[in-house]
Amino acid sequence: MRRGRDAGPVGRNDDGTFELLLEDHEREALLSFVSQLRELVAGDTRDPRVARLFPVAYNNDAEADEEYQRFMRDELVTARLATIDQVTELLSARGPLGEGDITRLMLTVNSLRLVLGTLLDVTEDDAEPELDEDDPVSAQWNLYGWLGWLLEWIVEAQAP
Amino acid sequence: MFFVNIVSPVSVRSVRASVMPDEAVRVEEDASVAADHPWVVIVWNDPINLMSYVTFVLQKLFGYSLEKATELMLDVHEKGRAVVSSGTREKAEVDVFRLHEHGLWATMERDGGGEQS
Repeated sequence: MRRGRDAGPVGRNDDGTFELLLEDHEREALLSFVSQLRELVAGDTRDPRVARLFPVAYNNDAEADEEYQRFMRDELVTARLATIDQVTELLSARGPLGEGDITRLMLTVNSLRLVLGTLLDVTEDDAEPELDEDDPVSAQWNLYGWLGWLLEWIVEAQAP
Repeated sequence: MFFVNIVSPVSVRSVRASVMPDEAVRVEEDASVAADHPWVVIVWNDPINLMSYVTFVLQKLFGYSLEKATELMLDVHEKGRAVVSSGTREKAEVDVFRLHEHGLWATMERDGGGEQS
């Protein structure tokens, strides 16, 4: 292991696999968010909450975009659902993560950030607003920060 | 339930590139010159994706060096957009799909700015 538990939530083993070193409650919470994400992705892809997961491909040609989406939208939904299901399995299994696993985890954590960032209407200049601890939005900002922290480590662990 | 119960007034910022008629004509004229790379794939700035993540994805998907990927990421961040790949329409569609799969805000257009079909 290049990194110990103290250093961060993702470690790289000598054989090239990765370890996800999350506390039990973090792992449980992540599983719950991933299952909520699955619900959204399996629903209406025009739902504004998932707008960032299903962007336009041609932004100044509506007709070409419609044609593109007719062929590719379902494929993107299928790919996202397959990724989410595999992440659910690997989070539950708690074993070492292969290269494909860490990629799928990275995509899923990023998807969660995209949905949450959209809900929070994050902008370039946004600092986290000052909120009461009981405000449910405050918990969302905490989660958004936590997902960013986790994603940074997932990216860092894969750096060549 | 963080996502499912909350209804938020989401502002989805749409990005639109304007197409000038004279550009469209120029694309037509340059078609033979640009035949090898007639389509470009553009990544747009967005306030959510982490800079380290965008850099990593560009390296991973297109095989760019860290330096090149960082340069493109900074272009996206500072100039609002960067061309990350080019080629045939089919290749551009595949690249856009992979970028979308990775959560990046990517679009494609004919090199020169217009999409004349």
